[in-house]
Amino acid sequence: MAAAESPSAALRRRDLCSRGIRLAGKMRADVVDLLDAYVEQQGLDASVSVAAVEGVPLAAVERWDEQTGTQRLLENLAAYRAFRALLAQMLEEQREQLGEADAGLGRALAAVLLQVSAFAYHLEELLRLESRGIPGDEGDEEEEDGPPPPPRLSLFEQKLRGLGVLRELAQWAVRSVRDLRQLAKPSPATGTAPGLAESP
Amino acid sequence: MFSRWNWVACGFYLVLSICSPDVSGGLVQSCGHIIPESPVLALGSNFTALCILNESCLDFGNIYASQIIWKIKNRLVPKEQYREINRTVSSVTFNDTSSLDTPLTCNILADGQIEQNIYGITVTVGLAPEKPKNLSCIVHQQSRFTYAMTCTWNPGRHTFLDTQFRLRYRWPEQIFPDCIPKDVNNSCTIDDSQFFVNTEIWVEATNALGKAESDPLVVDPIDIVKPLPPQNVSITSALLPTVLQLCWENWISDAVMTLKFNIRYRIVGDTNWMEVPPEDTASPRTSFSIQGLRPYTEYVFSIRCMKEDGAGYWSDWSEEKTGITTEDQPSKGPPIWRIIDTSQLPACWTVHLIWKALKPYEANGVILQYELTVRDKSSLSSPVKKYNVTSTNHTLQLQEGTYEVTLIARNSVGPSPPSVLLIPASNSKAPVKNLRTLPKHDKLWVGWTAPNNYVLKYVIEWCLMSSSSDCIIEWQIALGDVQGIDLKGIKPFKCYLITVYPLYADGQGSGQSVKAYLKQDRPSKGPTVQTKKVGKAEAVLTWNHLTVEEQNGFIRNYTILYKTIDGNETVVTVDPSKTEYTLSSLTSDTLYTVRMMASTDNGSRTGPDFTFTTQKFGKGEIEAIVVPVCLAFLLIVLLGVLFCFNKRDLIKKHIWPIVPDPSKSNIAQWSPQVPAKHNISSKEQMYPEGSFTDVSVVEIEADDKKSFSEQDLKPFDLLKKEKSTSEGHSSGIGGSSCMSSPRQSVSDSDEGETTQNTSSTVQYSTVVLNGYRDQTPVQVFSRSESTQPLLDSEERSEDHAGGVDSTPQRQQYFRQNGGQDETNTDRPCFERTKQITHANEGDLVGFVQLQISGQSSQPLGLGMEKNTQEAAVSNVLQTCTEGQTVRPETVEENPLSVDEMPKSYLPQTVRQGGYMPQ
Repeated sequence: MAAAESPSAALRRRDLCSRGIRLAGKMRADVVDLLDAYVEQQGLDASVSVAAVEGVPLAAVERWDEQTGTQRLLENLAAYRAFRALLAQMLEEQREQLGEADAGLGRALAAVLLQVSAFAYHLEELLRLESRGIPGDEGDEEEEDGPPPPPRLSLFEQKLRGLGVLRELAQWAVRSVRDLRQLAKPSPATGTAPGLAESP
Repeated sequence: MFSRWNWVACGFYLVLSICSPDVSGGLVQSCGHIIPESPVLALGSNFTALCILNESCLDFGNIYASQIIWKIKNRLVPKEQYREINRTVSSVTFNDTSSLDTPLTCNILADGQIEQNIYGITVTVGLAPEKPKNLSCIVHQQSRFTYAMTCTWNPGRHTFLDTQFRLRYRWPEQIFPDCIPKDVNNSCTIDDSQFFVNTEIWVEATNALGKAESDPLVVDPIDIVKPLPPQNVSITSALLPTVLQLCWENWISDAVMTLKFNIRYRIVGDTNWMEVPPEDTASPRTSFSIQGLRPYTEYVFSIRCMKEDGAGYWSDWSEEKTGITTEDQPSKGPPIWRIIDTSQLPACWTVHLIWKALKPYEANGVILQYELTVRDKSSLSSPVKKYNVTSTNHTLQLQEGTYEVTLIARNSVGPSPPSVLLIPASNSKAPVKNLRTLPKHDKLWVGWTAPNNYVLKYVIEWCLMSSSSDCIIEWQIALGDVQGIDLKGIKPFKCYLITVYPLYADGQGSGQSVKAYLKQDRPSKGPTVQTKKVGKAEAVLTWNHLTVEEQNGFIRNYTILYKTIDGNETVVTVDPSKTEYTLSSLTSDTLYTVRMMASTDNGSRTGPDFTFTTQKFGKGEIEAIVVPVCLAFLLIVLLGVLFCFNKRDLIKKHIWPIVPDPSKSNIAQWSPQVPAKHNISSKEQMYPEGSFTDVSVVEIEADDKKSFSEQDLKPFDLLKKEKSTSEGHSSGIGGSSCMSSPRQSVSDSDEGETTQNTSSTVQYSTVVLNGYRDQTPVQVFSRSESTQPLLDSEERSEDHAGGVDSTPQRQQYFRQNGGQDETNTDRPCFERTKQITHANEGDLVGFVQLQISGQSSQPLGLGMEKNTQEAAVSNVLQTCTEGQTVRPETVEENPLSVDEMPKSYLPQTVRQGGYMPQ
């Protein structure tokens, strides 16, 4: 991050952080609501335990407070890019399964997907402001390189994976809020780790 | 020959070629086409079209570009706009496409005359789309999770072409599907807008002539949200009577958007909203306590919200919810006033205490009762009377005096402050001054000038005046520092009596009253006029005042309009206080039509016509004519009567000539042996024959006298008393020397009887008798000059001889003496007087005195004294002589004095022994 941030950049950064925080908050609220609808619609037990979703970094992380801002942004960006792909896949599978029968769940999934995309955009912008290069999208790269087809899952496995994705997204939404709040704080060394008091 | 067939073949080919649109595939081939094909042209631009002929037609049909003509619809395009580019191409140029129409056709003139169409195109003229302007977007919250963004813009001018608008938006790295409007060209709605990312939004307009884009709008949709209003609003009462708590639910979670609120409220029935200060509700919340409310008042609440930072739009107001505050003590005492009725007894008041129910914001609850306390201030020993009343009035019977009335209203929470009314014995304090009114729209302002003393408050009474019912008093209390109030509920066109009383701390001022109208109109009817009295040149008109209901305003004046049938109308203005007016200078015996008009400030109304006719004669004119005529008539009659009276004898003589009744003559009783030749001779000596001009001669048969018995004569004697006149007639035969009338002779004979002791003489008629009791009647008797004393002496001798029986004898022989006895009474005297009245009035006194003189020894009611009798007799004689009108010369010829008369009359001779009657 540039040591001497221009006022407009600082304003922009603060604005992005603010929006990101609220977007993450809304995303969490929507995901929680979506989880309820999804569990009900898919006939799942809300208390069922789901294994970690492959390809998504865990929201819970050790030494969270020791992370730098850039590091946080990069982890968040990686996670939301993964969520974007997973949600797009879920939406596709949802349409294949239910067609237009449950348009409400599909719209909710699409809305969450849009929010994930929007949050990813926020993260990319923040990274730009950090004067850091934006890593390439793995999904895009895979498409460009001809990614291997995803393993074919059974319907139940798809449902469980979807449940896992939404739960992890809800977790990430909470973490992202905290991350952005950390980033939004005016500190002389933005890249330094925040204090313990700020740990989640 | 060949040439001819050649032309025919050529023409046929041309027709076929023109009729065939498809050159390649058809049987015939078109001879040309136009470039450009169906162009869309910008309005106002220039345009050039080319008509290109096919080469094959040139050779076969001998048609060239020079033969081309252009047409717009059926209108030929001027050749100035043509240009022959080469022998197969002709162009036409239009400097302004607005003159173009469709179709544009290319034609040739075959053989110089036959017009054939080569080709035609459709020309579309329009405008390129303008740049859409004023793009704005709003995100409507449709449910808890769905938000629809609607953008509107100004599409610009009409293009006359099919123009497509599309709303486009995108994130920096993501392009969303375009929003294409349906049925409209100026708005579009995006159903799933996403927040917290700046979204670039713009509008793209496209048609055949071009494309235009609006300026992009970059906005985070969260900043243009119009949220749904709070839901499930509920109101709960707090502990305090002035507080209500409002609770609600928000549609938007704080995670998405924090909200601020507006809360408004109003009293039920009121239209004016009050609002909680915005700063008090500028933070996210789901409840709020509204303070400063009125106790026991029902309020309506409503709430709205928007994004806390003020970005975006206010939501609609939530549904209205009502809540009521709890009760509190009444905030003030009821206004109280009184109406005192002193009509029953002078020292006893009937006091009607009246008060107004507290307004809801004053009562602060349901008033359960009023507590009334009356204290007699003029008598400290009098107990305080207390009354609990549930109505708003109370009537007391009080002795005249000063009272203090206290009123308290009580609700379930507690009592109100007391209202105190002082009722003084008399309203002796200063009244208000300059009381006046002024209409103000639907209110009537009443103003006054305050008295010099400090006034606690004023009581304003007013009532609607009515002619048919009592004035129902309404009243209102004003504070002492005001000098005018507005009266509400005043009806227009109605008369109100307004009275203002000042209330002092120690008494009450007398009321000042004024009449007022909120609004005036012309009277609802006009006065009915009629005449009270109609004269020759004047008429008194009378009318009744209009009732107060009919007036509709203050009657400023009455106007009397009257006219004759063919005359001009005369207008007279009359003071409104009058009910009578006299029209003067009218024409007599003329029909007048009169009507009356009552005027207020806002118009007039005329009453019905009334007609009357003036009289022909004025007052007193008839009397002035009739009375003099009557008086003249009466005067004439009176004069006539007087004349007749004066001439009664003459009239009587002519109408009823006196016919003496011989049967009643007493002379018939006379003795036929009365020779009296010497008397005759002496009479002849005294009265020559020629001096008798009026002598009645009665021939009496001697036999007839036999029928006169004494019994027969007695009733006659009685009758003589009553009808001395008839007797007189009979006794007056031969008349008298004094008067020629028989009546006069009667008087003479009576006089002769009564004056037997006097020296007066009465001439007796000379009776000629035919015979008496076989005696040889004396053929001719002249007028007798004998006097009564002769008879009297004879009678006296008989009296001496006969004693008491002498009277019947006398009556038998000399009937005229029948009244002798009665002459001693007054009655015969008056009877004679009656008889005398038939004579000349001037003789009346003389005759009376004559009788008196004949009754010298008799007391008379006239009071004449004896010593004056002789003088009186002389006067009588003189008077009698003077009063004789018939024969005045007789007296004049014998102007004998009283002393001389006996010497010339026989009775004196008889006394000396010369005359003996029988």
